[in-house]
Amino acid sequence: MRRKFLGVFIIFLSLFLVACTGDSKESSSEEGSGEQPGTTGDMDPFGKYEEPITIAIGQEVDPTDTSLQDGDTPLDNQYTRHVKEHLNIDVEHAFTASPANYDQKVSLAIASNDLPDAMVVGPVELRQMVEADQIADLTKVYENYASPAIKEIIDSSEGVALENATFDGKIMAIPNSQAGADGVHNLWIRKDWLDKLGLEPPKTVEDLKAVAKAFVEQDPDGNGSDDTIGLAGPDTSNKLYANFLESTNNLYGFDGIFSALHAYPGYWIEGDDGQPVYGSILPETKEALAVLRDMYSEGLIDPEMGVREDSGESIISGNTGMFFGPFWMPYGPLTDAITNNPDANWQSYALPLDANGEYTPHLSTTTTQYVVVRKGYEHPEAAMKILNNLLAHESEFDPSIGGPGYYPLRLVYAPADEMEVTTIALREVLAGTKEPEDYYNMPAYKLLKSDVDQIHEVKLEPYDNTDIQYWDPDANLGYWTRAYSALVGTAPLVDTEIKGVKSLIYSQTKTMEDRWVNLKKLEEETFMKIIIGTEPLDAFDQFVENWKSQGGEQITDEVAEIAQ
Amino acid sequence: MLRSKSLSSKMTDAILIAILVIVAITCILPLWYTLSLSLSSKTAAAAGAVALWPVDFNFDSYKQLLQDSQFFKSFWISVQRVVLGAGLNFIIVPLMAYPLSKTVKDFRGRNVLMWTVIFTMLFNGGLIPLYITIQEYNLMNSIWALVLVGGAQTIVFNIILTINFFRNLPKSLEEAALVDGAGPWYILFKLFIPLSIPVLATVSLFSIVYHWNEFLYGLIFMTREEFYPLQTYIQQLVVSVDPSTMTEDQYKRMSELSNRTLDAAKIFIAMIPVLVVYPFLQRYFIHGITLGSVKE
Amino acid sequence: MKTKGFAKHYYMMMAPGLLWLVLFSIVPMFGIVIAFQDFNPGKGILGSEFIGLETFKYMFTLSDTLNVFYNTIIIAIMKIIGNLIVPLVFALMLNEIRYIGLKRSIQTIVYLPHFLSWVILGGVLLDIFAYQGPINQLLGIFGVEPILFFAQADLFPFLVVGSDVWKEFGFNTIIYLAALTGINPALYEAAGIDGASRFRMLWHVTLPGIRTTAVLLAVLSLGNVLNAGFDQIFNLYNPLVYSTGDIIDTWVYRAGLLNLQYELATAVGLLKSVAGFILISLSYFLAYKFTNYRIF
Repeated sequence: MRRKFLGVFIIFLSLFLVACTGDSKESSSEEGSGEQPGTTGDMDPFGKYEEPITIAIGQEVDPTDTSLQDGDTPLDNQYTRHVKEHLNIDVEHAFTASPANYDQKVSLAIASNDLPDAMVVGPVELRQMVEADQIADLTKVYENYASPAIKEIIDSSEGVALENATFDGKIMAIPNSQAGADGVHNLWIRKDWLDKLGLEPPKTVEDLKAVAKAFVEQDPDGNGSDDTIGLAGPDTSNKLYANFLESTNNLYGFDGIFSALHAYPGYWIEGDDGQPVYGSILPETKEALAVLRDMYSEGLIDPEMGVREDSGESIISGNTGMFFGPFWMPYGPLTDAITNNPDANWQSYALPLDANGEYTPHLSTTTTQYVVVRKGYEHPEAAMKILNNLLAHESEFDPSIGGPGYYPLRLVYAPADEMEVTTIALREVLAGTKEPEDYYNMPAYKLLKSDVDQIHEVKLEPYDNTDIQYWDPDANLGYWTRAYSALVGTAPLVDTEIKGVKSLIYSQTKTMEDRWVNLKKLEEETFMKIIIGTEPLDAFDQFVENWKSQGGEQITDEVAEIAQ
Repeated sequence: MLRSKSLSSKMTDAILIAILVIVAITCILPLWYTLSLSLSSKTAAAAGAVALWPVDFNFDSYKQLLQDSQFFKSFWISVQRVVLGAGLNFIIVPLMAYPLSKTVKDFRGRNVLMWTVIFTMLFNGGLIPLYITIQEYNLMNSIWALVLVGGAQTIVFNIILTINFFRNLPKSLEEAALVDGAGPWYILFKLFIPLSIPVLATVSLFSIVYHWNEFLYGLIFMTREEFYPLQTYIQQLVVSVDPSTMTEDQYKRMSELSNRTLDAAKIFIAMIPVLVVYPFLQRYFIHGITLGSVKE
Repeated sequence: MKTKGFAKHYYMMMAPGLLWLVLFSIVPMFGIVIAFQDFNPGKGILGSEFIGLETFKYMFTLSDTLNVFYNTIIIAIMKIIGNLIVPLVFALMLNEIRYIGLKRSIQTIVYLPHFLSWVILGGVLLDIFAYQGPINQLLGIFGVEPILFFAQADLFPFLVVGSDVWKEFGFNTIIYLAALTGINPALYEAAGIDGASRFRMLWHVTLPGIRTTAVLLAVLSLGNVLNAGFDQIFNLYNPLVYSTGDIIDTWVYRAGLLNLQYELATAVGLLKSVAGFILISLSYFLAYKFTNYRIF
């Protein structure tokens, strides 16, 4: 009885908190827009500047994006106008660059010490800029100007997000924080192929090899030609496995196989002696490489791995049977794949399991990007306000007249459990145990309301079966993508007990600045060659030695210092 | 020439011609392939079904291309860059080459200057100092950054070629002019330049091709796409995006929009100016190269 | 003859060009000092601390450094050899053709690729050599399993050299053709009267006639031993072929502009410049010694 009461109490309390944050946001933003003089001084996260101020930023602009309409430009669109209207900030571009060239522009800006007022950077650039003393201390800005909603999300990462941005006790950048779901790489399978060949989803790595073999040899697409791929491999822009610096969204890697064998290459984990050790140099990794090497030589893995510009192409064309990828793969090649072939029944599993039958994937950090502000810029809080404004109004924008990437200084903010909550909510609504209205008042979950409202458009009965024939993607392809990501992509994360492994650190140490690039290259090349068989398996031992002598040992000491 | 009519000789001829024609075909095949790709349907291109002939023949990608104002902006920037770059090259090259074609006896500073010029061709401080310099000159986003930086690096080779050409002009011409009391400016402009049209056409062609094809400086010195020359514009389209740092929305849009046929159409259009220009300059550069570089 | 006082005019002629080179080539060289500093962008080049040869010491402990120098030299030397021999063979074959129209058409077609940029050709080549591309389709007819050409580290250098020779041979043919037309027809007549076969004529008349040209070209290309072609490799390579395909220029680009290793990138670049300078000087003296020809 008592326990039950406590439970109810907690639910009440959390509802109350959510309501409060929602309220305060609403009211403050309204106040903000109509507010009178003196706002710059009084630390209002949404305060509108009395006099217009200018912020020159570096912005990523995707040249293939044609979503802007009616003469809008990357500099004059719904987002920039919104920022101007609500905050009286004029956004200018110090530079723009395509996604592939953005890093190069940031690097030139840092090297020449000609920085934009603010820009989005990764952890490597952040450290470099802190060392060079180029960016402003944002401790006060964060404390005084971060909106409650942003603080709530950042706190949901249990301090990791802020820790990553803190140097010598000072917050030097505004970190993002996003759903943890995209750090888990599920196994995606053509279930129609499994059914056709009378197979079960593979529980173990051995099973997985058997399924891949059947997919390659038994002509599952029934076209009579020997053109199927068992398991996809990484393309030129992806990696064999996610690592501690890029711990999310590794497409078509072998993350699932490594972690099922308790190998965590690219991650800093605790060794048997309790000291930090780099996963790539452990014997488990060697064993996992041996498994992959066998699979490759038997033709179970895409023979073109590592060279394809985009491994998604063979998924779209219907040649691939399995791959590892995060929950949002419907946003990737799967939409095109089912457009091409409406029977392509891609399902997602928390597999393969380890020797004890447990699911043990590596987990990501929730922070990958930072907004930094140039030292000496008069309005450092402007960057914070722009981000507050984004989170408060994101759902009001219409992505079809300009993608969200055009929002200045855009960082992704989402509660760490956003996708899982969405999946559960959709299930409840479909099952009739909850009404859509029950989810209307959860503003931190930005898309939840539209999700629960639209689910009946695309999901057909029976609601608890997610096979592709029980969907109607044509009804609303855009929304189908999201719903499928939730009900299929995220389902394994909700239904499985995840015994995940975190990296001890997710950022660089001092020595890494000089040495990491070369060590990482050594690692990637050696492993790739071992798998495709151009180097013997024992090249691994030589790699371990080289890695240690070329700075790895020193770096391990530094990690130990930080992680303690 | 010898006219041998023997059978074996005819055979040899046939084989030779066959080989030469095949080699020639390989040289236009890529062009043909790109054209086929641009005229095929998007799905056929993505599935790799296009080989020699267009699959699902259509003009969609060209229609789409017509609406891409940035493509034409970049095209125009490249045209301007070529005109300015080749024009400047045309003026500066003979002015540099003429004094440097003199011997040390006639022009004492010649060797020092020559090695200085060579030195600039070989040494550089790397892209970052170059970037800082251009910034200091206030030439970021200016077409002059492309014209002057690229030009400075290629002009030396053109100067050397022209020096060699000048040296091989008959000495008697200059001597006669000197006897008549002609000055150096007169000799250069009225005597040397008119006689050097082949080599000047050649170095102009080099300059045109260089400025049309160069892409890296556009990427470095231009801070926004609207200032990109054509090759830079194409390069950033063709280079694959890094999905590991992408947001979902970006990824989605990319998969919807990635379009090999449109890329092929752009590539094909970008080739056209060169295809149009080079046959006209052909007869000059054949003379220019051979006379300038190698003379027994 | 009065050439006194000409020097002043020579300097005036050269002034604009020299100014250009000073501003855009020599001024940016100040960046070379980064190689000797612990470069801190916040303090700039003037404020950063000097650390002497520290970076160079680190550079030599890296297996990468040796590797990229090795790759560069291997690829460049193969290119030099290919670009000397293939055009020569092609020119000799073309020279045997007596149908002027055909000869001219082939000639015009084969130097077309020379004018296309690597941005464009890179994209086209990757398509053509793709797993499902035309080349693999063609090999498939003969029962050959598809090959991932641009992923094979052991194939990559040959593909680079092959595609470069393919791109350039037509253009290089011009020089040989010119030398061939310079051979006195009387020599062929005489050989014909002696009853010499076509092959013997080739051996005894044609080849000796263009020997000097070939030697000179060989010597001149020495200066390119450290230039393996940034544009080409940048647009063709991927991490799988770094071990054999990464050259100095691409490595420096990545180190400096993508990995923020400014000092290391500058140091390697400087090393390349110095070695290049030595090689050019060497080829200058060799050319002078063997063919009595002064390059500049």
